[in-house]
Amino acid sequence: MAEQELHFTDEELNEIEKIKAKFPTAKAATLRVLWVAQKKYGHVEPEVQALVAKTLDLPESHVHGVASFYTQYYKEEMGKFVLDVCTCLSCQLCGGYDVLHQIEDRLGIKAGETTDDGLFSVQEVECLGACGYAPMVQITNGVYANNLTEEKVDKLLENLKNGKMPEFESMVMRQNEKRIKAATE
Amino acid sequence: MPEVFIDNERYEFEGDHMALQFILDQGMEVPFFCYHPSMSIPANCRQCMVKAGQYIKDDETGEYELDENGERKIRWFPKMQTSCALKLQDGMVIQTQETSEEAERAQKDTLELLLINHPLDCPICDQAGECPLQIQTYKYGPEGSRFEVKKVHKPKRVELGPRVTLDAERCINCTRCVRFTEEISETNQLTIVSRGDKNYPMTAPNQEFDDPYSMNTVDICPVGALTSTDFRFKARVWEMNQTPSIDITNGKGCNIDLWTRDNQVLRITPRQNKAVNDYWMPDEGRSAYELFNENRASRPSIKLDGSNQSNTSWNNAIETFAETIEAHSGDDVLVIGSPHASVEENYALNKFFNLLGASNARFTPHIIDGYGDGFLITDDQAPNTNGCRLLNLNETDHKDLATAISKAKVCIILSDNLVGRKVVAASDLGNTYTISFATNMTETAKASDLVIPITCVAEHAASYVNIDGRIQRSFPAKETKYTNRRLNLEMSEGRLDRYGTNFDNWVSEEHKVDCLPLWDFLNKLAERLGLDYHVNHSRTILAEISSAIPSFENVTFEKMDEQQGIQLNLDNQKIKQK
Ligand code: SF4
Ligand code: FES
Ligand code: FES
Repeated sequence: MAEQELHFTDEELNEIEKIKAKFPTAKAATLRVLWVAQKKYGHVEPEVQALVAKTLDLPESHVHGVASFYTQYYKEEMGKFVLDVCTCLSCQLCGGYDVLHQIEDRLGIKAGETTDDGLFSVQEVECLGACGYAPMVQITNGVYANNLTEEKVDKLLENLKNGKMPEFESMVMRQNEKRIKAATE
Repeated sequence: MPEVFIDNERYEFEGDHMALQFILDQGMEVPFFCYHPSMSIPANCRQCMVKAGQYIKDDETGEYELDENGERKIRWFPKMQTSCALKLQDGMVIQTQETSEEAERAQKDTLELLLINHPLDCPICDQAGECPLQIQTYKYGPEGSRFEVKKVHKPKRVELGPRVTLDAERCINCTRCVRFTEEISETNQLTIVSRGDKNYPMTAPNQEFDDPYSMNTVDICPVGALTSTDFRFKARVWEMNQTPSIDITNGKGCNIDLWTRDNQVLRITPRQNKAVNDYWMPDEGRSAYELFNENRASRPSIKLDGSNQSNTSWNNAIETFAETIEAHSGDDVLVIGSPHASVEENYALNKFFNLLGASNARFTPHIIDGYGDGFLITDDQAPNTNGCRLLNLNETDHKDLATAISKAKVCIILSDNLVGRKVVAASDLGNTYTISFATNMTETAKASDLVIPITCVAEHAASYVNIDGRIQRSFPAKETKYTNRRLNLEMSEGRLDRYGTNFDNWVSEEHKVDCLPLWDFLNKLAERLGLDYHVNHSRTILAEISSAIPSFENVTFEKMDEQQGIQLNLDNQKIKQK
């Protein structure tokens, strides 16, 4: 991707101006503007980082440092759906690796790879704070699919292939289910 | 006056002080890595921990509260404090590792943590011997490590730029290098990438660390993570000998150290001088060591037929020189001093030929407009332009110099590559008998009829006046064929110098240049000519200058050494020159 091709539209620049106005310095807006860029391009490859740096008038090194610090920024092109499979302790105990291997199997790729059709990327991640509903998968820095079983994973992949994202679910810890049920009845 | 109590001693202080710097200023020690006196304080290495608290004062009476033994009560801060970022307050109590076991333990634990993923490859690391991490681990660190799992691996041998190589595994992420590019050189070329145990400094993708001051990061890196690509694996620091000197590659006169081994200068590093260069120097100045080692004029040479020069003996050189002088009247001799040579050399040369009836020496400054950066790189490419001015040499522009040369029958040039820097063409020198006093075999020396090899800044004690009018001096660092560091009390001796004999394979004669200090040669020439002229040492010349020329009043080597150079009054001079 040649650098000159990249630019923000007036609309995006407006949005960026609004973001900048919320912070005392342009530097402080780096995170938010990286998001604007990632939303637009689907990643923040070096050229995109350079665009952000230029737009905010910051050193490229700084933007690069920030982008590389956060795993949520994709430093290379990823699939349309990025499946973050948690294999940290709780999820691991509840079958996180089974979920991972099942996904790898069904998509024919390994963790860290992207399918040829550009639809899916799979990666192993550490705890996403959803231990109570383990095992789980996060989809493209967003929605969680929780309490996964083999069937649920297949269904999830099926839905995603048809462009259907899972709904956000409000979760309740299993040990609290009874109490809440009793209270609401 | 506000008071603090450090390791049970009372100190008074005025103004704002951070505990660490204050402690260091008292000549005591607390280990630290990320702190640097000329940069911001991020307090990220956590090595400088001390135990700190405050004597409790009664707000109403202003009296200190006492315990049952009559001792002042202390309210300790709840946690260990990083002393680099701890501002002194009246009545503060600080215990360093010397008096507090807790502080000692905190420092030890920090070191254990810093070393978890450190490769501990000191035996093959360039920094060994001058490594704060190594030194402080020996002094304050744990005996061993409890972390026996596999270490995290990171990139090695990364060429960050043309002059700096990174070993990311050795990095402790103190951010000194990053802050240097942000705060001192202001190129912002470095950042820390990634996080946790995987982070290390890096440039933005597709960018090079080509900062003109990049090698300062090598000096301030407290570990062996950033190394000089040029100096890597050349020598262990303890084999070298360190001699203070002055950067001669531009007009700033950065204070430097010359690092020699077996009379070769292997590297140049900056030496702190608040009034000139603080802790820094431009990368360019560091490659000057090549000038001191390579392509030197060694043993006189003379043009016998056509343009072929060949080496000759000192006796023959003196004889030829003397005959040339005797064959011409003073008016026919043009003496060209040099902003690239020292105050003493310019003065000695000028005086010598004045005695023989030649008119005042000329010199032409070596300025490249727009070359400087307002920091340590200057338009002026020579170390002693102001020195020549203060000595009242005749400042001449290129054109007038060329005319003067064409009129002269004999032209005497003091180490200045006039041909190389395009003041004159080699052919311009063809019609006059040209004698060069040269440190290096430059185009000018090669075009000369007689070349007298003289000592360079690395071989003599001499002074230079920088663009701001500060006079500073060098020390001999490298032996010539005729000097001996064991006899010359001005020269320092490294370990290998001290224990080496001619029968050791690390000692060789090769690196000693067959040259003389200009004044020594002039003594010999005076003797042959029967001229009443003799100086013992550059020190004597300077003494003479200081009594003869008001601008140099009271200037001595001793005073320069004590005060890291002396500020001369340049204004004085300008009035005189008009
Ligand atoms: S490379 Fe050296 S100076 Fe830079 S962060 Fe690492 S340890 Fe500090
Ligand atoms: S371990 Fe998977 S969400 Fe916490
Ligand atoms: S020197 Fe104080 S925290 Fe690094």
